[in-house]
Amino acid sequence: MMRRPVEAIRRAYTALVRSPYVAITGTGTIFVAVLSIGLVAAGLGTAERLLGAWAGEVRLSVYLARGADLPTVGAAVAALAPGRAVEEVPAAEGLRRLAQSLGDEASLLDGVGADALPDCVEVAVPGIALGEAKALSRRLRAVPGVAEVDYGTAWLERLERFLDRARAAGLGLLLVLGLATAVLVSNTLRLAVYARREEIEIMKLVGATDAFVGAPFLVEGVLQGALAGGLAAATLLGLQAALLPRLAAAFGPFAALAPGAMLPWPLLLGVVGGGAAIGLLASALAIFRFLRR
Amino acid sequence: MIQLFHVTKEYPGEPPALADVTLHVTKGEFVFLTGPSGAGKSTLLKLIFCAEAPTSGQLLLFGRNVARVSPGEIPWVRRHIGVVFQDFKLLPERTIGENVALPLEVRSLPRREIRRKVLGLLRSVGLEHRAEKFPPSLSGGEQQRVAVARALAADPALLLADEPTGNLDADRTLEVMELLAAANARGTTVVIATHDRSLLQRYTRRVVALERGRLVSDGDSIRQAGANP
Ligand SMILES: Nc1ncnc2c1ncn2[C@@H]1O[C@H](COP(=O)(O)OP(=O)(O)O)[C@@H](O)[C@H]1O
Ligand SMILES: [Mg+2]
Repeated sequence: MMRRPVEAIRRAYTALVRSPYVAITGTGTIFVAVLSIGLVAAGLGTAERLLGAWAGEVRLSVYLARGADLPTVGAAVAALAPGRAVEEVPAAEGLRRLAQSLGDEASLLDGVGADALPDCVEVAVPGIALGEAKALSRRLRAVPGVAEVDYGTAWLERLERFLDRARAAGLGLLLVLGLATAVLVSNTLRLAVYARREEIEIMKLVGATDAFVGAPFLVEGVLQGALAGGLAAATLLGLQAALLPRLAAAFGPFAALAPGAMLPWPLLLGVVGGGAAIGLLASALAIFRFLRR
Repeated sequence: MIQLFHVTKEYPGEPPALADVTLHVTKGEFVFLTGPSGAGKSTLLKLIFCAEAPTSGQLLLFGRNVARVSPGEIPWVRRHIGVVFQDFKLLPERTIGENVALPLEVRSLPRREIRRKVLGLLRSVGLEHRAEKFPPSLSGGEQQRVAVARALAADPALLLADEPTGNLDADRTLEVMELLAAANARGTTVVIATHDRSLLQRYTRRVVALERGRLVSDGDSIRQAGANP
């Protein structure tokens, strides 16, 4: 129907220039909407990444039976956990680490000999799923010379349940925010349509099709949405630059995040694209409701 | 060109705006639609350019029944019709040239061709020097000439005018009527709704008279003037 998209873009540009306040209102509404959605998404994503990094420190501790040979068991464990970092920790080293982790309280260990602790093989299992951890520990326990395997089941279980629930809640929240946004923005854009009802009426009077009348509104919606999305992405980047050093200073786990980790580029692209999509949908809704009333 | 068969238009809670009107207008005619205020003249024009649908009856335009036309088809019907209103209906924030260009733009004509046609149209209504001005800076007579130029921009087969001289003094009325007569002389079918009897006396044309929605007479203006002093 719309044989000249360039013409529609030109008319959209003219309309935006002619009534900048209406355009600013529309852009502002979309900006606030995608910024809040972006904040929620970035917050949820960061929380998940923090927990993931935390879970990445999860290790299986394989304690040796008294008298078992550390290098032999270590080799057997490494064979059962291919691709995992395996570290042999003799009792003396274990004691030293324990003392270090106790810091000022290290004096508690005065008089404790290295033979108080068993030798140990540590397996780093970053991001392991609960079932996997269980299966691996069962296999490791069967290794001759292994007395016990500790993998912090309760903690892993709780983390996984929490992450599942957080992911579901996050998606639900984003969905609700998206719907509320679409309605809100479409109401704002209806004002833009209403402000030009005389023009629309006269264009239809001289034979304009609905597609011809509507095309510039759709283009305007996309332009405003993309602009608002770009501004929201820039605002989020600014917030990250201002907040991340402070958060890292205040809370240890944040220091472990990469510099841009709170706003990965798919999220930023999503904010810009989401703004454009919201602009398009909202303007389509607004003009459609006006033309078909 | 226009054929109405027993057309009735009712608005809820009112006596019919049009009642059982049967009327034929052939190609190239120049017709006055007259009658007192509230007789149904504007309603009849609205039915013809598909702004309203008849409550009952048939309405054929260019041989095609538009009594039950779908919203998607209306633009294609309107592209054969130019319309002029008493209040001009120009877009105040667009220049005279842009207003006249509107019917050509909605037909997606090339910009160069639009510019060329608009210049010719403005010249034909004596306003080529006003192309860059905005409607509010023009007199009523000038604005109505712009509206006529816009209505004729896409060479419509049919020109409808609803009280086109209602806001104009005698001299401006004459100018606008000359433009409509000239369009008719070039072959455009013209239907003018007016309650201005002096127009009917000056132009000896077919006169269709309505009263309270009914067609009460149809003939040339001389006989009309004699029958209804
Ligand atoms: N949109 C409308 N809603 C209700 N009544 C209307 C509407 N348009 C016209 N009418 C009624 O229809 C009758 C004819 O009106 P109209 O066609 O405007 O007369 P005219 O143009 O001859 O003065 C009047 O009684 C008017 O009140
Ligand atoms: Mg009227």
